[in-house]
Amino acid sequence: MTDAQTLTAERSAAAPGRRSAAEILVQAFVDRGFTHFTGVPCSLLKGVFRVLESGEGPAEGVSYLPAPREDSALGVASGLSAAGAKPVVLMQNSGLGYSLNVLTSLNLIYDLHVPLIVSWRGHDGNDAVEHDIIGRELLNLLDVFGLRHTVFDATDPYASVERCLAASEDGLSTPVLIVKEGI
Amino acid sequence: MFGIQDAIRAVTEKFPTSLYVSTCGFITRDLYNTVDRPENFYLVGSMGMAAPVGLGVALARPGRHVVVLDGDGSFAMNPGALPMIAEHNPDLVHVVLDNGVHESTGGQRPVRIADPAGMALAAGYSAAYTAASAEELAAVDPESGVTSLLHITCAPRGAHAGKRVEWTPQQLVARFRTAAAA
Repeated sequence: MTDAQTLTAERSAAAPGRRSAAEILVQAFVDRGFTHFTGVPCSLLKGVFRVLESGEGPAEGVSYLPAPREDSALGVASGLSAAGAKPVVLMQNSGLGYSLNVLTSLNLIYDLHVPLIVSWRGHDGNDAVEHDIIGRELLNLLDVFGLRHTVFDATDPYASVERCLAASEDGLSTPVLIVKEGI
Repeated sequence: MFGIQDAIRAVTEKFPTSLYVSTCGFITRDLYNTVDRPENFYLVGSMGMAAPVGLGVALARPGRHVVVLDGDGSFAMNPGALPMIAEHNPDLVHVVLDNGVHESTGGQRPVRIADPAGMALAAGYSAAYTAASAEELAAVDPESGVTSLLHITCAPRGAHAGKRVEWTPQQLVARFRTAAAA
């Protein structure tokens, strides 16, 4: 993310009286009954983490649980879901690699489908080199494992979340909300 | 030293009404064949995830006591989860059944953690206990309402575990969710 984009995101988050895309994103999940958010940060998602850490606005009454690694975040979310809560997991796309074993040997076979908010570093092939391969292959990887992805639209955050969750409304697939630009 | 299957039975008798999460492989199969209850959430894969899953269960059901059954190999796989569990300090006993081998895969030598109890305390667990016999285990009385580690040194089975879990993963979730809400 460029400095200019960072500034824009921070300004919009700070604008009084107008909700940021990140706030609306969190609100959309909360309105659907989601109670817990866990994961590992990414700079593209820092607005969302700021809302969750604040515990204010849409995040009031919501639990945010920082995780050491993305697979452990999925493990915690799986336990929450198995016991009847509604968690969401956030991660950078790099964390999807760590998460694959938990996804394939727990979430997907037990039908514990926890929504994932995944940032997309390297989507345009013009990011730091460590994001080149996972950035290029992200959608292929999601398709291989049948993870239904929706690209987040910052001009209509609420509808993006609704679209993402609606794609997995049957409870038989894991919805993934992909965030390409910093929010 | 007592056998790992005796240790599992002793734990289930010590905490008969708790919600359980068991690590994959023989430990899940032993728990299933010892006492199959809807309150047991058996992992069949995802080695290293029993403790994080246990944390999630505990956070979803703060009124319930949770027991995690880990092995020494699976415990060594994910010590990064310990401080996350400690931060929330739920009513949970994290049992490490330490038979010194990866028995489910043929008895290979695992990475050894010298002092699991000390590691848990360093990570922030409220308490940690060790037991190397049925008598020592019987004497352990974990403080309620907080997270503790219970390191049990035990002997390998020396035999095959019992049959695999026959419930489907979906059945396990359905009955566990109902039992957890009760």
